[in-house]
Amino acid sequence: MSTVPGVPPVAGGHAARVAPGRVTVRPRTRRALSWLDRDTPFQYQLILLPALVMLLFEILPIVHGIVISFTSFTIWNPEGGFAGFRNYVRVLENPLFYRYALPNTFIFLGLAVGIEVSLGLGVAVLINRRFPGQRIVKTLLILPLLVAPVVAGLMFYWMFHAEFGLVNQLLASLGLPGVLWFNRPATAFGVIILADVWTWTPWFILIIYAGLQSLPPEPFEAARIDGAGPWSTFRLITVPLLYPVLSIVVLIRSFDAFRVFDIVWTMTGGGPGNATETFGTFVYRIGYLTVNWSEGAAAAMVGAVMIMVVGILVYGTFARVVWGKQES
Amino acid sequence: MKTRRRWGNAFLVALIYVVTLAFLFPVLYLALTAFRPPKDVFSVLGAGLSFSFANFRDALGWQGVRITEAFVNSAIIATTSTVLSLVVTLPSGFMLARYRNRLARSWFFVIYIVRTIPYISWLLPLFLLSQRFGFHDTYTGIIAAQAAFHITFYSWIFKGFFEGTSKELEEAALVDGCARWGAFVRISVPLAIPGIMAAGILGWIWGWNELLLVLFLTSDHIPMYSKTISTFITEMGVEWGRMAATGVMAMLPAVIVTAFCHRYIVAGLGGLHRR
Repeated sequence: MSTVPGVPPVAGGHAARVAPGRVTVRPRTRRALSWLDRDTPFQYQLILLPALVMLLFEILPIVHGIVISFTSFTIWNPEGGFAGFRNYVRVLENPLFYRYALPNTFIFLGLAVGIEVSLGLGVAVLINRRFPGQRIVKTLLILPLLVAPVVAGLMFYWMFHAEFGLVNQLLASLGLPGVLWFNRPATAFGVIILADVWTWTPWFILIIYAGLQSLPPEPFEAARIDGAGPWSTFRLITVPLLYPVLSIVVLIRSFDAFRVFDIVWTMTGGGPGNATETFGTFVYRIGYLTVNWSEGAAAAMVGAVMIMVVGILVYGTFARVVWGKQES
Repeated sequence: MKTRRRWGNAFLVALIYVVTLAFLFPVLYLALTAFRPPKDVFSVLGAGLSFSFANFRDALGWQGVRITEAFVNSAIIATTSTVLSLVVTLPSGFMLARYRNRLARSWFFVIYIVRTIPYISWLLPLFLLSQRFGFHDTYTGIIAAQAAFHITFYSWIFKGFFEGTSKELEEAALVDGCARWGAFVRISVPLAIPGIMAAGILGWIWGWNELLLVLFLTSDHIPMYSKTISTFITEMGVEWGRMAATGVMAMLPAVIVTAFCHRYIVAGLGGLHRR
């Protein structure tokens, strides 16, 4: 794995070495680079163990998954046998997959991440000031982040319980009819998104807040002197300066939102009907519960390929922010 | 002008408190449910000051649910897999922090790609492999898989922490005749202890919270609480007192960490997050 195709040069110094177009490197820089650029045996020793564990428990299973996705391996047919693309065709022709699982996953991803990043940015800006109880507030906001998604699911199900839930009790006290939250596709989906927003917004708050703290004060002073109001300062200075942080949190969280499972499984199990089926619950249902192993593996690979393509496309942004931060 | 500013400020501070309360509310409501006597569980707000531990006692003695065993198992597995993963992954983070050459870039890319792939994509085949090679529903299987699973997250965190520690001390140790591994173990690792704490605490919590891996790799032999809770709504639908009590006990580590280790959490998340 010495060369990785499609990796853009990330740190300034390497650009000179990797991109053939640029050849104006001063001799001193080149000498320093040649020392840094050499792979050392010590490096291989450092990553030997983690690479081995990763190979055994993540890469090998994926390869195995690819292999069995091309066989007809089920509990009734443990011998398998080559099946070509039949499993893939069956997955892609399954309405549960293209009508429910995939659209739901992307709608969930867009809505949840969109709400989380907006809310996170808003609250981060809000708490980025001196106010009484600052430390307590910052501490308390961590809690949802550490609560298990299954517990969050339990909590929100309980609040939206049709008969005994707090929300319907409040509606009743206002004289309004209760809503069967988990019996309707739209409201069930809404509660799932609410539970996810509750869990993950604090993560956005914390990281964006840390980003705000590390911004240089000069642009803000200049804006103040020029008489910019709070909104234009926010829009023209804060957001552009935060852009690297924002892009990274949105990227990472989007990859995670694609595999949402715990909250959906705990609250609705994909129901009512198939209305809240997502990629994760679909693979679990097909591949594990109904023991269509090969078909499940094929579905899993479809998702993996989709994410890998997106992942490689956005790698440049990711690497520039996370990698290029510190030049050594 | 000045009074208007002050009122505006007071409004913003009040808004902060409202938002914070909104985030705490679901936890408080579940806790209130759990501490009500079983007969008041369905009128949580209307039960005045009657509290009891009965739901917790009932939950721990729940016939057929094995909740105590499940909590013990979850704790054992979260702890061992965290320690294992810390030891395995520290050098990887160090490598990413200290080197910028081709191998470092490739390793960074591999970690990134493995991290982005939905993990159900390797869990389903891993489940099949675990059955074939006999580590399904064993401690070894779930601990190793859990540890492997943390490698990407830990590598990112440790990269951040090692970048913050001094390189000069390592170089001095090397000049004094320390071997590379000696310098790493004796100089670099101790300097990164706050980072190790942060990663360890977060990793433990996420190991404790893990569901999908548990669903795939364990069965009746190793009950774990996350799996138990995930079946509550469909299978135990009416036992809300016990279910709330179990949920509150499951949240206990999160509450403790929030109360006592929040500084580590903030530091750990600064180095980019999870799974």
